[in-house]
Amino acid sequence: MALIEIDDLHVTFEAKGRPVHAVRGVSLAVEVRESYGLVGESGSGKSTILRAICGMAPVTGGAIRIDGRALAPRRDRGFARRVQMVFQDPYASLHPRHTVDRTLGEPLAIHGLARGAERGRRIVQALADVGLDAAFRFRFPHQLSGGQRQRVAIARALMLEPEILLLDEPTSALDASVQAEALNLLSRLRAERGLTFLMVSHDLAVIDHMCDRLTVMKEGRAVENLDHAQLARHDMKASYTRELFAATTERIAAAE
Amino acid sequence: MSGLRAWLIDPAPRSPMQARAGQLWLGWLRLARNPLALIGLLIIVALLAAAALAPWIATHDPYAQNLAGRLQPPLSPGHWLGTDEFGRDIWSRLVHGARITLYIVALVTVTAPVVGLIIGTVSGYFGGIVDTALMRLTDIFLAFPRLILALAFVAALGPGIENAVLAIALTAWPPYARVARAETLTVRGADFIAAVRLQGAGAGRIVVGHVMPMCVPSVIIRVTLDMAGIILTAAGLGFLGLGAQPPLPEWGLMIASGRKFLFEQWWVATMPGLAIFIVSLGFNLLGDGLRDVLDPRSATR
Repeated sequence: MALIEIDDLHVTFEAKGRPVHAVRGVSLAVEVRESYGLVGESGSGKSTILRAICGMAPVTGGAIRIDGRALAPRRDRGFARRVQMVFQDPYASLHPRHTVDRTLGEPLAIHGLARGAERGRRIVQALADVGLDAAFRFRFPHQLSGGQRQRVAIARALMLEPEILLLDEPTSALDASVQAEALNLLSRLRAERGLTFLMVSHDLAVIDHMCDRLTVMKEGRAVENLDHAQLARHDMKASYTRELFAATTERIAAAE
Repeated sequence: MSGLRAWLIDPAPRSPMQARAGQLWLGWLRLARNPLALIGLLIIVALLAAAALAPWIATHDPYAQNLAGRLQPPLSPGHWLGTDEFGRDIWSRLVHGARITLYIVALVTVTAPVVGLIIGTVSGYFGGIVDTALMRLTDIFLAFPRLILALAFVAALGPGIENAVLAIALTAWPPYARVARAETLTVRGADFIAAVRLQGAGAGRIVVGHVMPMCVPSVIIRVTLDMAGIILTAAGLGFLGLGAQPPLPEWGLMIASGRKFLFEQWWVATMPGLAIFIVSLGFNLLGDGLRDVLDPRSATR
């Protein structure tokens, strides 16, 4: 049985009085300890799927199951212990008036874990796990670079030791040089902790680097499901996937 | 001194206290770059000093009457700001009046902005029916002119400083609720709020710990800018005989009693008027300076 199962998911927003059908019947299954990618251009509904899992988007049809159990309409604390998310923009996802210490301590405080000195020890450990020195502990987000902020955001997502990490374009707001570092950090953490990733990106190269299997999305629909080997063999059926792949290889060639 | 400085600007603070002190120090440096704000701060510090040291600064007992020496002009021997219609020393009354002014200001600042902040953030965060109900209530209070509503409250509750403060607080909170709500609406959809919600935080923790810190700077700025209005309203109530009662040396009351001799003995009403003017100006200048320091839009970099 798959860890995350999404079955014929529909999400419809109300925007300016008109319904917007952002996700139209997407199904996928993510196995335990797998890294699964969702790729597509902006507006294809891939981030919306992550938000739907977290209860931040109005699900109008289909089902999301974790461990075979349908999610409660309101995500509870138990859900928070199992599923965490890393947001796209590290400039927006950290509270501007909280120190790194407060940001990382908050999940522990919410769940009543590790008080006093023990909490401090876990915060320093979490910083070390993402490659940040303890000297960053009492800094404010505006005193950090983009890459450092995203490391803090990753550390925060891991504070509750979840098994599933939802990654919403975790590197697209970072410089190219920092991107690779952040991706390698995520790969290392996944290997060390046996995490399951569901990762969204518009960049096929990133997904190819990170994921075992992927779904290509366009206009709210799943165009094609591929695994890593098929991608390597250029064994794709849908013409849209081929276009996306060609655009990525062209870009990489141009960069080299 | 240089050790303290290094400790304050340490880019890697070792305790939350040091991090906060460092932020305060940077804020102070920004404030110190603005000479007008410093003048404002100086006026407020002078007001605080006058209130704290009133018995030592005052040359006479503010209540001591001397009918033989009534309505002495300024710079007369022993009374450098003159005396009023009962021969009381105006300087001493002004200095003791600073206490009453500060008392009113302090009581209003710990009530109205707090109420406004809570109503505004709750209204903005929950939205929907809660928002509609709270904001219509705010609209009702906003629709009344402040002094008129305060007059009505005082008329119902009876004259006196405490009732004047209560009346001012009851009429002063709506603008803070509006400011806090507007600020809440801009942050409630932010990723950092979504992140903490995803960690399982309840609404109370999010509003108090995550939304309010974003609203506090705008509210503080608004409070300092409103302080002049609060002092004027308190003085206005005193002037109309509905605030502080004689023989208290309240500034508005002093103006009211000097009104009768405004043309012949101008100083009786003018001196407390100048005091109100200077203190109001001080709060306004400081408020302008604080806006530059605290405004999240200018401070985030």
